Amino acid sequence: MAANMIKITDMEKIYRTEEVETVALNKLNIEVKNGEFVAVMGPSGCGKSTLLNILGLLDDPDNGSFVFNDIEVAHFNERRRADLRKHNIGFVFQSFNLIDELTVFENVELPLIYTGIKGPERKKRVEAVLDKVQIMHRRNHYPQQLSGGQQQRVAVARAVVNNPKLILADEPTGNLDSSNGNDVMQLLTELNEQGTTIVMVTHSEHDARYSHRIIRMLDGQTVTENILI
Amino acid sequence: MLKNYLNIAFRNLWKNKGFSFINISGLAIGMASAILILLWIQNEASFDQFHQKKDRLYMAYNREVFDGKLQCWANTPFPLGPALLREYPEIQATSRLQYNNFLVTVGDKHLKAQGCFVDTPFLSMFTFPLVKGNKTIALNDMHSIVITQQLAKKLFGDDEAMNKVLRVDSNENFTVTGVLKDLPNNTQFNFEYLLPMKYADKLGWSDNEWDNNSPSTLVELKPNTTEAAVDDKIKNITKRHLKGSEQVEVFLHPVTKWRLYSKFENGKIVGGRIDVVRLFGIIAAFILLIACINFMNLSTARSEKRAKEVGIRKVVGAQRQYLIGQFLGESILLAAISGVVALIIVQLSLSGFNQLTSKQLAIEYGNIYFWLSAIAFVLFTGVLAGSYPAFYLSSFQPVRVLKGTFKKINALVTPRKILVVLQFTFAIILIICTVIVEQQIKYAQERDNGYSKNNLIYHLLTGDLDKNYNLVKNELLSSGVATSVTKTSAPITQGWSDSWGFEWQGKDPNSKTDFDRFCADENFAKTAGVKIARGRDIDLKDYPTDSTAIVLNETAVKAMGFKEPIGQIIKDDGVTWHVVGVIKDFIIRSPYEPMRPMVIEGSKGFFNAMHIRLNSANTTEKNLAAVEKIFKKYNPQYPFEYHFVDDEYAKKFSDEKRTGTLAALFSFLTICISCLGLFGLATYMAENRVKEIGVRKVLGASVTNITTLLSKDFIGLVIISIAFASPFAWWFMNKWLQGYDYRVTISWWVFIGAGLLAIAIALITVSYQSIKAALTNPVKNLRTE
Repeated sequence: MAANMIKITDMEKIYRTEEVETVALNKLNIEVKNGEFVAVMGPSGCGKSTLLNILGLLDDPDNGSFVFNDIEVAHFNERRRADLRKHNIGFVFQSFNLIDELTVFENVELPLIYTGIKGPERKKRVEAVLDKVQIMHRRNHYPQQLSGGQQQRVAVARAVVNNPKLILADEPTGNLDSSNGNDVMQLLTELNEQGTTIVMVTHSEHDARYSHRIIRMLDGQTVTENILI
Repeated sequence: MLKNYLNIAFRNLWKNKGFSFINISGLAIGMASAILILLWIQNEASFDQFHQKKDRLYMAYNREVFDGKLQCWANTPFPLGPALLREYPEIQATSRLQYNNFLVTVGDKHLKAQGCFVDTPFLSMFTFPLVKGNKTIALNDMHSIVITQQLAKKLFGDDEAMNKVLRVDSNENFTVTGVLKDLPNNTQFNFEYLLPMKYADKLGWSDNEWDNNSPSTLVELKPNTTEAAVDDKIKNITKRHLKGSEQVEVFLHPVTKWRLYSKFENGKIVGGRIDVVRLFGIIAAFILLIACINFMNLSTARSEKRAKEVGIRKVVGAQRQYLIGQFLGESILLAAISGVVALIIVQLSLSGFNQLTSKQLAIEYGNIYFWLSAIAFVLFTGVLAGSYPAFYLSSFQPVRVLKGTFKKINALVTPRKILVVLQFTFAIILIICTVIVEQQIKYAQERDNGYSKNNLIYHLLTGDLDKNYNLVKNELLSSGVATSVTKTSAPITQGWSDSWGFEWQGKDPNSKTDFDRFCADENFAKTAGVKIARGRDIDLKDYPTDSTAIVLNETAVKAMGFKEPIGQIIKDDGVTWHVVGVIKDFIIRSPYEPMRPMVIEGSKGFFNAMHIRLNSANTTEKNLAAVEKIFKKYNPQYPFEYHFVDDEYAKKFSDEKRTGTLAALFSFLTICISCLGLFGLATYMAENRVKEIGVRKVLGASVTNITTLLSKDFIGLVIISIAFASPFAWWFMNKWLQGYDYRVTISWWVFIGAGLLAIAIALITVSYQSIKAALTNPVKNLRTE
């Protein structure tokens, strides 16, 4: 396995409306090693969400190269991106993004369904991961019946149920109080210790301190990189 | 995967009860209408398709040029059938068929039944199976009769009918030599008994004339012969036997086309009932489409509610086809639920629909093909309704919907606008058609029929009535029940006879004008209330030579070219008639046709009916009771079967009235479904614009401003629909009216009226939501952000 999970070179992303051109990423270069926990910080509009979307294969860059596990994926089509995504990447969002019509169990089960795992195996894996995030007792509840912290724990469970190599977290504690926030960060740290690479966008210096390295961005470029450990 | 889809589909349906209700009820109404129409079409298309030899069975038709037009008709000479069989080896069998309406008697049980004379091969040619008896010989004997199970039951109860004796027309004894399985409801044939043609010969009903067209001639070809080849050979058979005195040609019309393709123009089949079947098919398709449009519109209108779900599913790895599958699954589930509701609606409304269409349609629940087609129908509807939403919803980009930058759809977007316009265009077309059909019926009903329908009854000259006619007449008049009585050749509402063989002085030898031939012994003008234009009515009392008197209508005077009609001599079938009077035209056949030339021959003619002008000084009940008593006295064997002329005349409008009722029904359903959809759309629109409405109200907009703002988009669409619908409706109705010579002109206000009606309906539907949104406290609205 390569040492670098992610290698981004000279990446550009420009959003255009009829009158305005916004440069979101400007010749960006970033590397993330296998097993690393990286925090991305910067003011609003610096391009960190765009970066996360591209890393998550939800969006494609206009220029530059994106090598993921030694494969150039920058110009993969929608189908191949979806395929790569469901086997390798888990997402955690600020607003949890659980499906309101599905129970906790069913929400977590969803990625397994799309990777084609059979029913009994699914049940085993979903229960294991729910146990891990300590939400097993709420397995038949609907998202709106849970607290914010519980919902985010479900979202983390859903992100890791497929054993992804990479977790992308977009301000995972943004909608949580400090105690619930710390629980979630603790959870992410544990996952990282077990070998999962994590890239997290955050505004919180406190949360960023959980990571190994902080990348600071401004106007679509990295400005500094602090190595914490 | 499937379980997950079903799960979320059910929960979505349950969570959005309003949406589900609108969709299910709309789809159910649409599907129920389509099912009813499809049942009807299936029945129409199955007419006489059950005959095992259907590919070889035909009816012989005549064609000849009249007044420059090639006319086709199915009445043929009696000798045609036997001659075809004798002269052409390609022909396997023939049977003539002549309908009759005899009184059948067993003991003291008298029944009037509908039947026909046929030749022996009839039962072997057509698939009307005998449950008792041998089909090859059942009609061999002149005094044999074959009856249906139903008639057997009526005559003999549960007793065995075979070999029993019954009397036909109170004259002769007949032995039951066969019992027929009852006729299915999808055949053009209509009889309860069959009599051998030999008996018609004996009664003198038949003849050997090649120029008298009366029975139908049914033909079975041998296998491996083609219609075209036989047509070519038999073309000149009548001409040959007439030695060229008539230019009539013979051709074959296949049994499989009798029902749907029976309209000939210039010798070619140009359609017939198939036009109605096609029209109904189009209407069914449109009603279903309109119900599906509701689903499409509402699903896409509330797309932002589902955008998040789509985004999440994509992020966790769903590919687009999974999502398309999921959404299609939901619409198919919805269609399945609607299908069940539709089936219940169909079951409940079937008897009413049967009454309306004069059918006995039924759903065959035991038939596997019914369930297969039901499943296919649900799948079709589900895919039709769900495909556009599925492709639309599954196209959302997760980045945009999950980051909240997903643009809410405030106004109606273009595809949805087109769909609403389509719905309303169809609804408005139907409204316009309904109004014009009703106008046409009213127009024809109000046409002056030329005689006085009220208090006039007729009775056919059954049994001894002909013999005792003078006694009956005298007693009716002397007892004060009737003011005038006349014997006629046919009921005044039916044309039974016509001819182009009249001779008069100055006739153009090349002219072939067809005249209605009617007979009336005397005082017809007085009895019927017809006006005399010139001369006088036939009067046997004061003018003994009036047995050969003839009266013309005004159109006949014109057609014959008489300047002075009174005293002219007219020859018909060997009798010389002298014109004594001219009457004003009256309607005998269709109230939609122009007046036809008509002659009324005096007492030397032929007679089948009597007309009685009841004395208006008495009540109807009293008159009828008195007439019945007199009839019973002179015709005891036969039931008293009178007909009020005004009722009979009203029947001339029943087809058009049915068309009108169906058009009204379909427009009502279409409007219902379209309004359900519009209501749903308005609801989502108002929800989506909550913030905009709040801001506008804070800035000083009035309730009226807001209501107008929310309603005007929809009204604009309805106005566009009116513009689309009007030319279509005009073209279509103009075509329909071409089928009537006497027709209403389409007036512009119908279009305006239908348009205003559609606007009013749309406004009422939308305004509930608009006003509700406008009345909400803006503070509440703005806090929802």
